[in-house]
Amino acid sequence: MKCKPKTLAMILAGGRVDELNVLTCYRPKSAVPFGGFARIIDFSLSNLMQAGLERVAILSQYRSYSLINHIGIGAAWDMIGKYRGVSILPPSTGYGNTSWYKGSADAVFQNMDFIQYHDPQEVLILSGDHVYHMDYQEVIDYHRQKDADLTIACLQVPMEKAHRFGLADIDNEDGELGGRVLQYKEKPDRPKFNWASLTVFCFKPKVLLEVLTINAREDESFEFGRNIIPRMMYEQRKVYGFKFKGYWGYSRTIEEYWQTNMDLLGPSPKIDMEKWGLRTNLDHRGIRDCQPLKVGSDAVIQDSLVYNGCIVEGTVERSILFPGAHVKKGAVVRDSVLFFDNVVGRDARLEKVISDVNVTIGNEVRIGALGPAGNKEVTVLGWNNFIPDKTVIGSDCTIYPSLSADKLLREIKAGEIVR
Amino acid sequence: MRKENTLVLILAGGVGSRLNNLVQTRAKPAVPFGGIYRIIDFSLSNVMNSGFTQVGVLTQYKPLSLMKHIGTGEAWDFTGRSRGVKILPPRTGAKDSDWYKGTADAVRQNIDFIKAHPSKEILLLSGDHIYRMDFDDMISFHRRKLADVTIGMMVVPESEIHQFGAGITNDEGRIVEWEEKPKVPRTNLASMGIYVFDTEYLLHMLTENREEIDFGMHLIPRAIEQDNVFAYPFHGYWRDVGTVQAYWESNMDIIREDSGIAPEDWGIRPNVEAGVADIADRPPARFAAGSKVKNSMIAAGCVIEGEVINSVLSPGVRVGAGARVCDSILFHDCLVDKGAVLDLAILDKGVRVGVGAIIGHGEDKTTPNKDFPKHLYTGITLVGKGAEVPANAVIGRNCIIAPLTRVEDFPDPQLKTGESVGVIDL
Repeated sequence: MKCKPKTLAMILAGGRVDELNVLTCYRPKSAVPFGGFARIIDFSLSNLMQAGLERVAILSQYRSYSLINHIGIGAAWDMIGKYRGVSILPPSTGYGNTSWYKGSADAVFQNMDFIQYHDPQEVLILSGDHVYHMDYQEVIDYHRQKDADLTIACLQVPMEKAHRFGLADIDNEDGELGGRVLQYKEKPDRPKFNWASLTVFCFKPKVLLEVLTINAREDESFEFGRNIIPRMMYEQRKVYGFKFKGYWGYSRTIEEYWQTNMDLLGPSPKIDMEKWGLRTNLDHRGIRDCQPLKVGSDAVIQDSLVYNGCIVEGTVERSILFPGAHVKKGAVVRDSVLFFDNVVGRDARLEKVISDVNVTIGNEVRIGALGPAGNKEVTVLGWNNFIPDKTVIGSDCTIYPSLSADKLLREIKAGEIVR
Repeated sequence: MRKENTLVLILAGGVGSRLNNLVQTRAKPAVPFGGIYRIIDFSLSNVMNSGFTQVGVLTQYKPLSLMKHIGTGEAWDFTGRSRGVKILPPRTGAKDSDWYKGTADAVRQNIDFIKAHPSKEILLLSGDHIYRMDFDDMISFHRRKLADVTIGMMVVPESEIHQFGAGITNDEGRIVEWEEKPKVPRTNLASMGIYVFDTEYLLHMLTENREEIDFGMHLIPRAIEQDNVFAYPFHGYWRDVGTVQAYWESNMDIIREDSGIAPEDWGIRPNVEAGVADIADRPPARFAAGSKVKNSMIAAGCVIEGEVINSVLSPGVRVGAGARVCDSILFHDCLVDKGAVLDLAILDKGVRVGVGAIIGHGEDKTTPNKDFPKHLYTGITLVGKGAEVPANAVIGRNCIIAPLTRVEDFPDPQLKTGESVGVIDL
């Protein structure tokens, strides 16, 4: 009989951490659009829904309006019901040591009362910033089977890239499934092992409380990767690694984010949103009211994803179009990602561009250089911009959000940043 | 204040049997339209956009699909303290209860509902038309004219007037003469089946003569004779999609430029969460390298590897490599396998067309369907919900394939123009 859920999930969705350039000027990374209709956090939320983990808290701090708006009441992920719900936990003032969240661990620590109220058997702490499909229930089962204090989901990464991650040395106690974490190093200069932490932590609540309490009292930094896991290793707690083998889209730079988008395309895409059961909140930006894509009589669409609410009259190749994108006649959009409500004017040409919401690109505008996508960098257009007719913008440029049009009345050379 | 004083009744009970296969499992207002909509979404959205908040939907024929679609009415903002949409099926127990025998009879059997929602006017609509209309303006007109009844009317070609209630008006817009479906045209002003009644007047008319079962045939002619009935002129796009041909044309109008129909601009809302497999679970449409799509509407969740020309595709349709879909309408989750060809076909939900099959073969578009010559005579072939079409089958035009037909039900993989497979039960 299914009664009260045993697991409480907490999503870390607060950080901006200076990633993704102008796309995070006004929203946390978790609320950045992805996949032609969704947001990055939808992957974690949909994974939770599929795993039947529907008692969820979201810790948010940085520019949280977009995120709060997106989550709504949680109905999109079936998170409303007697034992189901999504609570947004912003920093708050009040009794005790309350303040802005000083780090991921501090954010959880400041909400210990929330955890104690729900009294779960385990707390699953996730990042809302990654694109992946994982059955969290497998992690939880393994955690229970080992009676672990902490179980970390990890992915084996190439040794030469490993220095960017929190790394675990996992033994072969349970072979392919997982094992004891023998060592843990946060972003070491010279990695000696390469199981990267995916920021999927399953904690015993009592241990979590103990460790966070000591961290709050004794440390000067409050991060799971930098402080909590090393402290648990030092205290010789039972820390296990769950060996994950699927796709994991990790994007810290705009180039990585672009690549993760391209992983949606091709004959057998690495990210299969339908198979993964990805859901988003269709009330956000009103995309539920969009009519189906309208394809004009001269249109060409190749190897692309296009959602309802778009109009394509020109050419779209290897690109992703969010609702409200309108590609007019003669325009060419290649290797690009256009967020909500973009208009691409007649005979304009976009090559490897990421364009944030509400950007209108005039007629005959040229953005990015011709040639294979691998040989050039992404140009990013911040939101609410109007690019005048015939403007020329090179590759690897950054256009800040909401610029007045006179700042764009010239040729913008490759690599320029326009503020 | 006025808006709260209008009660809306939507007639959604008719069989609509001329839509043949498409109404085998659902009422006409619940027939999918324009990729992601159902026909009744147009009426419901017009009501919402006009600011009215109390709605009754009168159902009778195969109502389950419609009831599921309407749900709580949340999709059209009908939930809240003073808002609501109620399904009104026929019921036993009350004095006048029975199956609904006609439009006026259906309303008469719901007088209790009308009285339970006090109103100054009743707006009576049909749930099976494609249009946009500001009913608030119509109510203003009704009040300005001090009318007892106001009827939405539009000019149609004289050759079509025989399908409608026809009215002759005087200079001030008052209807002085009425003919229901006249054989000889004397006017080109047609009733759109949209009525505003003073509530008191309607209740009086319904109870005065209990033998009258139909608005167009009985109640309206009597009202015109005795009282103040005005014509509210409508200009714009309006279609009664009651025939397969009209239904097909109206869908094609959406993809034609300047046809005057634009669901999103009109503020028409679908119910995206009415079913497990509806839009909410669909990723963006995927277009493979080598696909070719022209002049079409493609909903989320479609995967296009082949060719789609002049067609409307609902969510989840898959068109395999080398397949070609032309001038067709495909409902949710149809599969057109590799190399198959569709020309002038309407496929209901979940139809599977085998590798290399042809639907709509041959030049002869005018030999009608043998079983239903009045339903199919323009070359359109209908494939019922969940049917399978065998690989390499050759299906002619004006053919009907019944819902859930299996591959082994085909006596011959060649189906000549005008032939049918399976039993159509209307």
